[in-house]
Amino acid sequence: MLHRESGVFKTSYAADMALYPLPIARWTVAAVVVLFAVVLPVSLDEYYLSVINLVLIAIVGALGLNILVGYTGQISVGHAAFMSVGAYTAANLAVHLHLPFWVTLPAGGLMAALIGAIVGIPSLRIKGLYLAIATLASQLIIEWVINHTPAISGGAQASIEVPRPTVFGVELKTQGELYFFLLAFAAAAVVAALNIVRSRIGRAFVAIRDQDIAAEIIGINIFGYKLLSFAISSFYAGVCGVLYTYYFGIANYEAFQIVVSIDYLAMIIIGGLGSVLGSIFGAVFVTMLPIAIRIFVEAFGGYFWDTAALSAVAASMRLIIFGLLIIFFLVVEPEGLNRLWRNIRNYFRVWPFSY
Amino acid sequence: MSKRVRLAVSLSLGLMGLMGLMGLTLGPAIAQDKEVVIGLQCDRTGATQIVGTTICPAYHDYVALVNSKGGVEGYKIKVIEIDHEYKVPPAMEAHERFKKEGAVIDSVYGTPQIAALNKKLEEDKILGTSPGFGTAAAADGKKYPYTFPIAASYWSQGAAAVKFAKDKLGGSLKDKKIAYLYFDNPAGKEPIAVLEDLAASEGFQLRTFAVPSPGVEMAAQVLDITGRYKPDYIITHLFGRSPSVSIKELKGKGYPLSKVVALVWGAAEADIDAAGGFSAAEGYSCMQFAGVGHDYPAIAEINAMYKAQGKEPPKEQANSVIYNRGVFLAAVHLEAVRNAIKAKGGGKPTGEDVKKGMEQIKDFTLGGLVPPLNITPEDHEGGGWVQIWTVKGGKFEKATEWFQAYREVVKKHIAATN
Amino acid sequence: MWDELEFAFALLVSGLSIGLMYSLIALGFVLIYKATDAINFAQGEFVMLAGFMATTALAAHVGIWGAIAAAILGMIVLSFVLERTVLRPLLGRPVVAVIMATIGLAAILRGLPPITIGAQTKALPLPTGDTPITVWSAVIPPVQVVGVVVSIGFLAVFTWFFLKSRMGIAMRAVADNQQVAMAMGINVERYFAIAWAMAGVVSALGGIIWGSMLGVDTQLSLIGLKVFPVVILGGLDSIVGAVVGGLIVGVVESIAAGYLDPYVGGGTKDFAPYVLMILTLMFKPYGLFGTHRIERV
Repeated sequence: MLHRESGVFKTSYAADMALYPLPIARWTVAAVVVLFAVVLPVSLDEYYLSVINLVLIAIVGALGLNILVGYTGQISVGHAAFMSVGAYTAANLAVHLHLPFWVTLPAGGLMAALIGAIVGIPSLRIKGLYLAIATLASQLIIEWVINHTPAISGGAQASIEVPRPTVFGVELKTQGELYFFLLAFAAAAVVAALNIVRSRIGRAFVAIRDQDIAAEIIGINIFGYKLLSFAISSFYAGVCGVLYTYYFGIANYEAFQIVVSIDYLAMIIIGGLGSVLGSIFGAVFVTMLPIAIRIFVEAFGGYFWDTAALSAVAASMRLIIFGLLIIFFLVVEPEGLNRLWRNIRNYFRVWPFSY
Repeated sequence: MSKRVRLAVSLSLGLMGLMGLMGLTLGPAIAQDKEVVIGLQCDRTGATQIVGTTICPAYHDYVALVNSKGGVEGYKIKVIEIDHEYKVPPAMEAHERFKKEGAVIDSVYGTPQIAALNKKLEEDKILGTSPGFGTAAAADGKKYPYTFPIAASYWSQGAAAVKFAKDKLGGSLKDKKIAYLYFDNPAGKEPIAVLEDLAASEGFQLRTFAVPSPGVEMAAQVLDITGRYKPDYIITHLFGRSPSVSIKELKGKGYPLSKVVALVWGAAEADIDAAGGFSAAEGYSCMQFAGVGHDYPAIAEINAMYKAQGKEPPKEQANSVIYNRGVFLAAVHLEAVRNAIKAKGGGKPTGEDVKKGMEQIKDFTLGGLVPPLNITPEDHEGGGWVQIWTVKGGKFEKATEWFQAYREVVKKHIAATN
Repeated sequence: MWDELEFAFALLVSGLSIGLMYSLIALGFVLIYKATDAINFAQGEFVMLAGFMATTALAAHVGIWGAIAAAILGMIVLSFVLERTVLRPLLGRPVVAVIMATIGLAAILRGLPPITIGAQTKALPLPTGDTPITVWSAVIPPVQVVGVVVSIGFLAVFTWFFLKSRMGIAMRAVADNQQVAMAMGINVERYFAIAWAMAGVVSALGGIIWGSMLGVDTQLSLIGLKVFPVVILGGLDSIVGAVVGGLIVGVVESIAAGYLDPYVGGGTKDFAPYVLMILTLMFKPYGLFGTHRIERV
C-alpha cells in the first residue's frame, strides 16, 4: 500500500536476503505475533482457543504436505500414516523411557522422516497417479503394521496414553496453556518452511516439479532431492502427529486413517499448492468448515427443516459442501485461497495509484 | 479467470464468512435456568453412520418424551448434537462446545473418541459414556472416574458369548472347538484376551479369524472356519457391513446359523435384512445390551407422543435393536440427572453431581428395555449384563433373560490393566 | 491330504470369483482412464450410486428388471452430466487436480444419499435365489456367478469394441493424442461423453451385483479402494489387465487369508495386494498389460 517498496535501500547482503526485507512487512509480522501471542489467549474463550489449537496442529501437517505436493510435485495420499508413525514413536518414548516432550517431538519427527524417505524410494521410477497409489499402499501397510505389532501399538487397543507435556515443571492442561505449546511449534514450523522454500533446497524442489528432466540435466540430483522432500514432509507429519498425541493425551492409530490424508490434501488444494500462506489458509478453512456449516445450519436451518432432520441434514450438507468446494477451487481457482489473497494484496499494493 | 469472476468469488466467500460469524453470535442461547444441557456426539456421515443415524434420533425422541411430561424433576433437558464423522478432532471440538454450553454429560460416540477424551472428561468434570464400545478397562471407576461404559464391555460380551455357547453345547465346553471371527481393529481384538483365558479354564480350543477393514469380503476366512477348522460354535464380533456379509457367507458354506452368536454390533435388524431377510437368517443369535422390539412401555409412549402430534412413529424404529439402544442411552443419562437433582434437593446439578447420580443407578429397568444395571463408584460398567435374542420364525425371539457371565474373570482383566 | 487340497481348491475358486467381481469395478475405472486420461477416485461412489438407483426403483415397484434398467439409464445420465461439469474444465490440468476433483466428487456423492434417500441399508435381491452352487469343494453364491459371467461378457465386448469397432478405434485415437484426433475430424468431446457413459453402464452393473451381495448403503463405496491394486497390476489402460489384475488380486487375497493369517494374527488379506502392487510398481511400473508411456521433454 502506498508504494511499500519506495524508500527502502538495502546496503548489505543480509538485508537483501532477509525474510521480511521491507519495514512495513516487519511491522505487520510483529503485529501478528503480538495478536497471536498476547491478545488472543487473554481475550478468547476456551472453546475458541480449542478450535484454534486444532487449526495450529493442522497447519503443521498441511505445511509438510505442501512441501511435498505443492513444491516438489510428488503426490502423496499417505500423509496420515506418517503422523501416526510420529505419534506412536513419541508415545512409546514418553511412556517407556519417560523422555520429555522436547526429546520425543524431534524423535517422532525423525522416525517419520526415515519412514517417509523409505516410502519415497519408488518415486525414482514412478510418477503421478502411480506414485499416489504407492503412497496409498504405504498408508495402508503402515496402518496394518502398527495395528498388528503390540510392541509399537501398546496392546490390542492400539492406543497409548501419554502424560501431559511439562514445561519447567508446569503441566500444560488447559486450552490456554496448550495453545502456547502448539503456537510455539506451529510458528517454528512456518518459519522453517518459509526458509526451506527460499533456499537452494526449495529451488531444487520447484525445479523438479516444473521440469524434472531438465533439472536433472543441469545437475540437480533429483532422486536425492525427492527423497529429501519426502523426508522433510514426513518430518512435519511426524511432528504434527506428536502434537496431536500431546494435545489429546493419547496416541491412537484410528485417528490417522485415509480420511485424514484426504483432508490434508484438500487443505492444500483449497489453500493453494506451492505456498506457505496457502497451507495456513487451507488448514484454517478445512478445520473450521464443519464448525461454520454447523453454526450456519443451526442459526438459519430452522426455517427449512424441522429439528429432528436438522442434525442429519447438517452432517450431510457438510460432506456435500466440502466436495463442492474442492471441485469449485479446482475448476474456478486452481491456485486456491492463496491466489485470492494475492489478488486482494496486489490490488492494494499500489493503491490508490493503480495506474 | 476474469477480474469480475474473481471479485465475485472473493465477495461471496467473504459473505459466507460473515454469515458464519453472524451465526456464531446469534446462534445458541445461554442455557436457561431450569434446564440441563446434555451433549450428544453422533456419527451421521462417517464409517458408522448406519448406527448413528438411528441411535441419535432415538435419543432425541426419548428426551422429547420426557420433556413433554415435564422434564426431569421439573428441569427441561436440552440436547446439543454434533456430528463428528467418526474423526477425533471434531469430537474434541464438540466436547469443548458442550463444555461451553454448560453440559453435564458428554455422550461420547466412538472408540477412538472416548480414548482421546478420557483425560479431558476428568479434567472438565463432565461425565462421558461409551455404551457397547470404548476400552473395557474403563469399567474401573477408580482409574477413570468420569468415564462410564454403562453397558457390557467387549470383555463382558466375550465372556457372555462363551457362557451362551456353553449352555447351548450341553453345559460343558471341554474339548470343544470355538472359532472367533472378528473385525481386525482394536475393538474387535479386545475380547480375545478374555476368550483365551476362558479357553484355558474351560478346556476348549479357540482359534481366531480376522477380517480386515472394510470387512465386505471374508470368503477365505469363512472357508477356513467351515472347511478346515469345523468348530462347534462360532462367536462373531463384526461391525458395519460385515455382519450381514458373515451371515451370507456362513449360510453359503452350509454352516448352521444356530451355532453362531454375534456380539452387540453384529446384531441389528438392518444386518439381518441386508443378509437376505429374517427367513434367511433362521437360528442366528445375537447379543444385546438393550431390549429388542417394540414391546416396551417406553416405545409405546414415544409412539403415543408422535400420534398426539399427528405424526407417524419414526421410521428409525424399524431398526429396533439400534433404536432401543438410543432410548437406553437417553434413559440412563436422564436417570443419572434425576438422581443428581434429587440428591441436591432440587438444585441445578453440575457435572460432578451427575457423576455421583450415575453411580447411584440401581434396579432401573425401564420395563425391561434396560438391564438391571448396578453402577457403583468402582464398577462403571454396571455389571456387564447382556441378553441374547435369536431369529426364530421370521423375527427376533428372546432366547435368554438378562444375564452376566464370568464376572471374576472380567474383573481380573480390568485389575490387570490398571 | 485330500482335505487340504479341497481347501486349497475352494480358496482358489473363491478368490477367482471375487477377483472377477473386483474386475467389474476396475473396468469402469479403466474405461475412463483409457478414453479420457482421467483418474477416477470416485469409482466406488459410482457403484454405490448405481446401487441406490436400483433400490429406489425397486421401492417404486418396477420389479427387478425395471430396477436394473433404471440403474443403467440413471448412471448414463449421471456420467454425461459429470463429464460435462467436472471433467471438461479440468482437461489438460496436472494429474493432482483431476485426482482431487474426483475425490471431491466422491465426497459429494457420499453425502447425497443420507439426505435424499436415507442412510439405512437396503437390500437388492436378484432373481438368482440364494442356494449356492457347488463345484467339488468350492461353494459359490449364485450372485457371484452372475458377476463372473457379466465380467467376462464385458471383457469380450470391450476387447472387440476397442479393437474392431469404429467408435472404439476413434476412442483410442482420442486417448492417444487429442490434437491429432481432432485434426483427423474426430469429435473428441462426443467420444469423451460416450466413454464416460460406457463406464457408467459398467458401474451400474457392478453396483447392482455388489449391492446384491452386500446390501446398498454408503459403505458400499469402500469397495472402490480395491480398484487400485487391480488396475496397477493390470495396467491403467488395459481392459484385459483389469480382468487379469482382478483375478490376481482376488486369488492373492484368498491365499493370504487362508494360509498367512494364522501366522501373523490376521489381516494379511488387506495389505497383501498392496505389497504385490508396490513390487509391480518397482519392476513393471506400467502393470502387466499397460501401455508404456513415453515421456517427452
